[in-house]
Amino acid sequence: MSNAGKSKMSMDAQILSALRAAGPGTISGGELAQKLGISRAAIWARIEEMRSLGYDIEATPHLGYRLARAPDVLHADDLLSRLGAVEVIGRDIRVFQQTTSTSDVVEKLARDGVEEGAVVFAESQTRGRGRLGRPWVSPAGKGLWFSVLLRPDIRPQATTQLVVAAAVALTRAIRSQTSCQPEIKWPNDILVGGKKVAGILTELNAELDQVKYVILGIGIDVNLDTGDFPAEVRRSATSLKIETGESWDRAALAAAVLRELDQAYTRIKTGQFAVLAEEWERQCVTLNRRVAVRSGAQVIHGRAESLDSEGALLVRTQHGRLEQVIGGDVTLEK
Amino acid sequence: MDLKDIKAIVDLMRKNTISEFEMEKEGFKIKLKRGQNGGAVQGYPDESTLSNASLAPSASAMLAAASTLAPFPGVASSTEIEIKAPMVGTFYRAPSPESAAYVENGTEINLEMVICIIEAMKVMNEIKAEVKGVVTQVLAENGKPVEFGQPLFKVRLQRSLAS
Repeated sequence: MSNAGKSKMSMDAQILSALRAAGPGTISGGELAQKLGISRAAIWARIEEMRSLGYDIEATPHLGYRLARAPDVLHADDLLSRLGAVEVIGRDIRVFQQTTSTSDVVEKLARDGVEEGAVVFAESQTRGRGRLGRPWVSPAGKGLWFSVLLRPDIRPQATTQLVVAAAVALTRAIRSQTSCQPEIKWPNDILVGGKKVAGILTELNAELDQVKYVILGIGIDVNLDTGDFPAEVRRSATSLKIETGESWDRAALAAAVLRELDQAYTRIKTGQFAVLAEEWERQCVTLNRRVAVRSGAQVIHGRAESLDSEGALLVRTQHGRLEQVIGGDVTLEK
Repeated sequence: MDLKDIKAIVDLMRKNTISEFEMEKEGFKIKLKRGQNGGAVQGYPDESTLSNASLAPSASAMLAAASTLAPFPGVASSTEIEIKAPMVGTFYRAPSPESAAYVENGTEINLEMVICIIEAMKVMNEIKAEVKGVVTQVLAENGKPVEFGQPLFKVRLQRSLAS
């Protein structure tokens, strides 16, 4: 099962995997040819092809090939090679230069009966979206804009577990790949330095008591500059680059996020949701804060006290009542 | 309008062999249908047809036949059902505040059509009609929380469903 991803790996993904495994060393054309069961000439042709995509692959006579530098592009084979073996999420990766929204593409895949775990990335989105049709800025080559197809065997109400899992996976990956200390704003905005760096929009297609499919739409503002954000969101949105002053390797972060998502998903499937919930709660900045919850024209002010077992936020209003909040816009107040 | 008026309309329909009559006046709406033999009750799918033909195996929204008023033998108003909330959450009638509502009164809906969104913890659940018919009333308010099983829409089922 865990080899499913590996067996589907293309030639290029296998070559990149072998080059990465060699690290700072080299791997000879003959060795590669033997590993992949193709001729040395065919290896050379593939390497030429990858060079044209921007992969800096050095060739030293008598020693072989070395991957000096990978370009800052998202490449399905490269992502598969970085990811290695996974259970579900990331065994099928597709990268588009541009699309309306990666969730639109995944929805089509879902309707076409594509297996769960498929991930669609786009270098840019023309209609990236957040909650309620709010636009999500997705400039080319600066962030990670992707959607994941899941077909969990759960009741629709339990989809909130995926929300929790996704938030935890994002914070783990950002912490491992960058110098940032991410936090979670209920239910699953990822904040760094108090501003939003990543968002997750979950779309559910369900029957009464059974989920048909779930689309996890994820946007991570990796290397965006202040000028990339529209003026009206600059106060509340940021990027990993703005927060640290450094650019980060998007492909490495993407692979880390998929790996963490895959692990979290496996946890849910094996009944270990409590572990995720605990980690989520520890990083949730909304708790013990004064909040305003806007839902339509209605606003509730109060103090976020705790989370219930389904992940809903329990807010003690100024009138002393405990309100269970499952929707709306939650703003942290001073 | 009272029973006497309705009786008069039915008589008129029978005399002129009119099989269907619809009228709307000051918030009052009536639709009468006559059977082929001049007055048999129809337009009333039985429970089993409803659950087998239109609901099973999938029902993204809970459905329940609303109590259908049959003024007197020989006439039955067409079947109205309620589409109920399949989950707790915030009810949205449109994909975004700027866009038009998915459905309004009078919108014809069909099985796969999205009629609203219910959001819970940023999970957007697009609710599909799962029935064919016409929306006669929107019962829940945009942007407000809805409870599990709360009626969202009234829908007059299309004739084909009953046959």
